[in-house]
Amino acid sequence: MNIAGRHQKPGWGFRGDSPPPTFLRRALLLFPLTAQSADPLAAVMAALAAVRSSRATFVEEKEVPELDRPLVSRGTLAWRAPDRLEKRTIDPAPELFLIEGDRLTLERPQRGLRETLSLDTAPELRPLVEALRATLAGDIATLREHHEVRFSGDTTRWRIVLVPRSLRLRGAVQRITLEGSDGVLTVVETQGNEGRTRLTATPVP
Amino acid sequence: MRRFARLFLALAVLASAFPLLLRHVELRSDITDFLPAATTEESAFLLRELRTGAATRLLIAGIEGAPAEDLARISRTMAQRLSADGLFALVANGSALANEEEAALLFAHRYALSPDVTPDAFTEPALRGSLEGVLDGLQSSAAPLVRRFAFADPTGAFLAMLRGWAGEGRVATEHGVWMAAGPRAMLLAQTRAAGLDTQAQQAAVAALRDAYAEAAPPAGARLLLSGPGIFAAEAAATVRADVQLVSTLSFVLVGGFLFWRYRSPMMLAVVAVPLALGTLAGLAVVATVFGHVHGAALGFGMTMLGVVDDYPILLVTNRAPGESLRDTARRIWPTLRLAVAAAVAGLAPMLASGFPGLAQLGLFAASGLVAAALATRFLLPALLPTDSLAVRPLPERLAHALLRLPARRGLVLVLLGVVAAAMVATGGPRMERDLAALSPVPEPVRVLDGELRAQVGAPDVRAVLTLRADSAEAALQAAERAADALAGAFTIDHAARFLPSAATQRARIAAMPDDATLDARLASARDGLPFRATAFDPFLADVAAARALAPLTPDDLAAAPGLAARIAPLLRRDGDAWRALLLPSDVHDMAALRTAVAGVPGLLLVEIKAETEALLAANTGAALRWGAVGGAAVLLLLGAGRGLRAGGRIALALAGALLLTFAALSALGEAITIFHLTAALLLAGVGMDYALFMSRSENSDMAEAARALGSVITCMVTTLLTFGLLALCRTPVLQATGLTVTIGVACAFLLACALAPARRRPI
Repeated sequence: MNIAGRHQKPGWGFRGDSPPPTFLRRALLLFPLTAQSADPLAAVMAALAAVRSSRATFVEEKEVPELDRPLVSRGTLAWRAPDRLEKRTIDPAPELFLIEGDRLTLERPQRGLRETLSLDTAPELRPLVEALRATLAGDIATLREHHEVRFSGDTTRWRIVLVPRSLRLRGAVQRITLEGSDGVLTVVETQGNEGRTRLTATPVP
Repeated sequence: MRRFARLFLALAVLASAFPLLLRHVELRSDITDFLPAATTEESAFLLRELRTGAATRLLIAGIEGAPAEDLARISRTMAQRLSADGLFALVANGSALANEEEAALLFAHRYALSPDVTPDAFTEPALRGSLEGVLDGLQSSAAPLVRRFAFADPTGAFLAMLRGWAGEGRVATEHGVWMAAGPRAMLLAQTRAAGLDTQAQQAAVAALRDAYAEAAPPAGARLLLSGPGIFAAEAAATVRADVQLVSTLSFVLVGGFLFWRYRSPMMLAVVAVPLALGTLAGLAVVATVFGHVHGAALGFGMTMLGVVDDYPILLVTNRAPGESLRDTARRIWPTLRLAVAAAVAGLAPMLASGFPGLAQLGLFAASGLVAAALATRFLLPALLPTDSLAVRPLPERLAHALLRLPARRGLVLVLLGVVAAAMVATGGPRMERDLAALSPVPEPVRVLDGELRAQVGAPDVRAVLTLRADSAEAALQAAERAADALAGAFTIDHAARFLPSAATQRARIAAMPDDATLDARLASARDGLPFRATAFDPFLADVAAARALAPLTPDDLAAAPGLAARIAPLLRRDGDAWRALLLPSDVHDMAALRTAVAGVPGLLLVEIKAETEALLAANTGAALRWGAVGGAAVLLLLGAGRGLRAGGRIALALAGALLLTFAALSALGEAITIFHLTAALLLAGVGMDYALFMSRSENSDMAEAARALGSVITCMVTTLLTFGLLALCRTPVLQATGLTVTIGVACAFLLACALAPARRRPI
């Protein structure tokens, strides 16, 4: 289904060094997907899977019950298939959150903090990581392994609602909502006891 | 063959007695049997630590040979399994507190236990800093973790406490577990059983290996282990391998030699009778007296082949033509009796050496000698046909050369004088001062242990401080005071770091601001930050609850196994009192530590290396003193048995042999250990046989002199063939004994020949 092959496709956006696709190229890309629109989720997944790498800027709003206003942070996101996801916060405090393979790295240079941990050691973290990563990879099987998946909308404007299968995790995170269009993920909203977190991504042109 | 039926029957009876006896004898191979007895409070403490201290219960595992992720997974799987195993009091691999019940208990007591709880931490500016830190944490990706503790513990007292605990190890954490360079995942397991409980330690090692195997290690991964269980197993294996090799080779070589000498394989059977009886007697006596037999004592007993086979050889070889064996036995008995009595007198110092292992060796040898001598006198003549076992005469040229040696007596005496002068001039042989050199644990195993210890950050403990108090509380308070007094110059690990005294816990709580003040300061600190007014209610409630909690004491730690295991090595019952240990790390200036400790009443400084060396020196000194006593006893016996002049000549042959032996050992670069010294005593006993039998012929004819010479040469060769092989052993005790006796026996033989009385007729 990966008709784009190794070709770079829009995800959160294009890599700076690649030319924007022409209308024709996009139409060619979407043709086989729309052809099997009987299953729009599969079509979206295929579009996402076709994106081998992408970059975006993000704005994250975090609502915490103990705070009377949301915390806002900004930074960049970078995705590289099959399994590398980097979230680099620039403001208000620099932070690197990197998932690569089984390894999760958290760096906060101002605090002199650098932690590496294996996802195997943190079974409660894996569903949260896969919610993002398996979506970007277009890997519906892994997504379903950890979550109940509900799809709404169509390929050009879709919404996927994930509910963790683990009861224990559901005690902390009730719902993750992903929104996007075609192979581009634009919004991630997490609803949990922590409160609500909404991340909005803008593809880097 | 029929003529030897009685001999074979006797051998069969003796052989069947071995398994019967061994079933009731406990064989041991731990090193502490070879540790000396204590004489001071410091050395008593040190010995107790070496025998039962926490370090003796610690197993260290390193896992390597795979990517770090795999190693971490194996480490975690192993830790989970081992924690569930009742064999271990503590399993640590760098991962966080696993026990939720314990975490809850410690969290509730955090304001009493955490070193970060100072009045300064609860001032308005400090609280403001803490709240800003919480906000920063909430902003980060680690927000869920931050939120879990931050609103109940904004000042981070709990995390500071855990960090302080982790600070004891200097090993880096990767993938959530300790990971040393390599990568090599590190895991510690402390057994419940004592380090000396060999079986329990081996079970612990087996549990570790099982846990490793069940963690499905990928191909290429390796498990490295170190600890008392490994030491015991390795030492036992080394001793066993040594003993097997030596006894097999000895059997073949001695058998071949005797076959050549007596033109009959029967001589080997003849020699076997006193040997078997002597070994049986040694085993039985040692087991009765000590309750067990040390592996090395048994190995040493096997080398008695070289000593007690002298007796039947002396008996058979000294038989004159036409004489019955019974008459020969009666004729040589006074000499044999004197030789055995003197040898036992020479061995007696081993019994008083203070090393239980050496005492066993001495007792084993002495009982064996006596039993073998009695067997030679009374049993052998009854077992052997009269006219059996003709001796092949010695090559004539050799016999002549040796029997003419007394003519060169002057030269030999000059040689002895020169060597003695050289020894005095060079300050004598170098003494071994390192206890590790005496350990039967093979060196590669000790090297691996050192490497693993360094990697888990266990500091090289050069000094230990210790104190005693009437109660656990008093001991904790004293430890706190001592640590405070030394805090400026030294980093000190002690029990109160983990569990402060009740007094300190109360003082910390009392120093916190009261509820109303804390509430007011928190409200001011919150000003301008986005926290809701109720956000830190859990914090205020927990502080209020902490005031009502009774301090945590060592008796309350059933629910906190991790904390209990941490303080167990540092605080423990000692009789009806309590003992606390303080471990200073990175001591660069021992003199400064000594001065500082002298200023703290009741605190005892034990300098491990110096104390160990003092122990060894004290015991070497004791061995030498008892050696002198043994020497005096030998002289007395010889004087009584042979008259002053002849006794003196024999004593000179012996003393000369000892002198030459130690000169040779020095020249070989051997550091003299207690094992060399005691082996020298044994050598004195063996060498005396030669001098006695050589000088027995003072008033006899040439033929008898030649027979005596032949018997002594045969004795010497068999001794060399056994002790010579011991010198090839890896176990230090066996190697030292072998080398000393090998050199000594050769010297003793030549001196016995040279110092024997001159023949009446020149040859």
